[in-house]
Amino acid sequence: MSTTKIDDVEYVVHSLAQTAVEKEKEFGDLDAVVGDGDLGYSLARGFEKVLADWDSFKRDDAATFLQQIALAISSRIGGTSGPLWGTAFLRASAAAKTTDTIDGAAVVAMLRGATDGIKKRGNADLGDKTLLDALIPATDELERQLAAGASPEDCRTTFAAKVRECADATSTMVAKRGRASYSGERSIGSPDAGAVAVAVIIERIVADWP
Amino acid sequence: MKKFVNDPQQFVPEMLEGLALANPDTLKYVPEYNLIMRADGPDESKVSIVQGSGSGHEPAHVMIVGKGMLDAACPGDVFAAPPFDYVYETTKLMASPKGVLLLVNNYTGDKMVFEMAEEMSSADGIEVKTLFINDDVSVEDSTYTIGRRGVAGNFFVIKAVAAASERGADLGEIIRIGEKVNSVTRTMGVALTACTPPAKGSPLFELGEDEIEIGVGIHGEPGRRRGKMMPANEIVEEMLAPIVKDLPFKEGDRVALMINGLGGTPISELYLLYGQAHKRLAEQGISVGRSYVGEYCTSLDMAGASITLVRLDDEIESLLMDPAEIPIRVF
Repeated sequence: MSTTKIDDVEYVVHSLAQTAVEKEKEFGDLDAVVGDGDLGYSLARGFEKVLADWDSFKRDDAATFLQQIALAISSRIGGTSGPLWGTAFLRASAAAKTTDTIDGAAVVAMLRGATDGIKKRGNADLGDKTLLDALIPATDELERQLAAGASPEDCRTTFAAKVRECADATSTMVAKRGRASYSGERSIGSPDAGAVAVAVIIERIVADWP
Repeated sequence: MKKFVNDPQQFVPEMLEGLALANPDTLKYVPEYNLIMRADGPDESKVSIVQGSGSGHEPAHVMIVGKGMLDAACPGDVFAAPPFDYVYETTKLMASPKGVLLLVNNYTGDKMVFEMAEEMSSADGIEVKTLFINDDVSVEDSTYTIGRRGVAGNFFVIKAVAAASERGADLGEIIRIGEKVNSVTRTMGVALTACTPPAKGSPLFELGEDEIEIGVGIHGEPGRRRGKMMPANEIVEEMLAPIVKDLPFKEGDRVALMINGLGGTPISELYLLYGQAHKRLAEQGISVGRSYVGEYCTSLDMAGASITLVRLDDEIESLLMDPAEIPIRVF
């Protein structure tokens, strides 16, 4: 992956925000199967705020930009989604702070920061049937692709495919965290709503890459 | 539903406005962040003590802001954690060179919001720590909680850390005291009726005319069992036994005993319960050093009560005896 400018970071966040707002109903329906159905609503309200405040964010560097996104999202999202997504952006921002250029290694560090943050904040880990089960293996895959010298485009495509594959595979797991965990065994058979939402979001980011 | 309410969405802001108008010399209301703070705060010579929680538990916690208790309370909407930006802005506003302690009852939503606020304000250079309170012995894991819920026992943690803060203790010492008080505090509640959130307009859960919920949470979460109404002494017995067994409280222990009304029970009934509990403890060789009877941490208009025991030692008892000037004083 070549060096990424803040333009690319802005693009990723903007695309994510648009998907979250446009897919409100779809994400809500996914969550209603075993959760409490508020995923679509929560994400849409949070990222609506991001889009509304878009021009006011400081763009000195990626870290500053992402920190403001974290604040905007968690100010608006109720329930547990706000702090979880906010923490993900906050930790990605912290990871971006330690580097001058946002290259492939920095993207991996930001994704690791985000997933570690979600683990800690949500008291969740791999295997609990959350979006971590899609994002962590996909980040591992991205790291392998980078080490093997894959092109930026190949890295993105493989990353999106892995997120989708792992998100769909959560349907065989039992939910152990969040509202969905009250459904216990009944959660088997449906994929985790958060994981699928992340797959939809990333597929769009990769498909529309400028 | 008959309630004193205008627009249900404005229930909390209108309550806070009234609270501030009734206490102009001691309290300040910051409507942008639902914040109630001491009018003379933040006091830079002491650690700021801030409690966050949903509303609907009054007087907890907005009505116990004042010298000797909270420096600020950061409430959310009824039974909802405050939004993150309210907590973050409150923390910044209450920043003292000696630090800020955020006290939070153990509910998943509140925990996430306050931990994130701690993380973000620490990054801004504010010395801030979060302490979680989990005194409810009724159940492990609940509708909104992983682990045990935090309920009325948090008054003892608040009082002890606030007194220590007024005495000049540093943040590390205050956390030690808070953790210690939490570790010797145990509570259990019982509901005789459900409660009605103003925005919902109907009871939060179904409870039959002749039924009670033993071990109920302060948001109407299920407890240990639902049964038929019983005489008061049998209810006290059924609540006190698991509390005493849990710590355990032993013969020779000296305790603080709190009978807390959940919002819809007359004071007369609370004193009746107090008498039963006091005598029952005496029979077990447990003596009451300090007693508290009234409404502390309520659940809107729920009829019911909770019993809290705190094992006292010289340090805790001394901190509990320090003066406090708060709006719920009676004259």
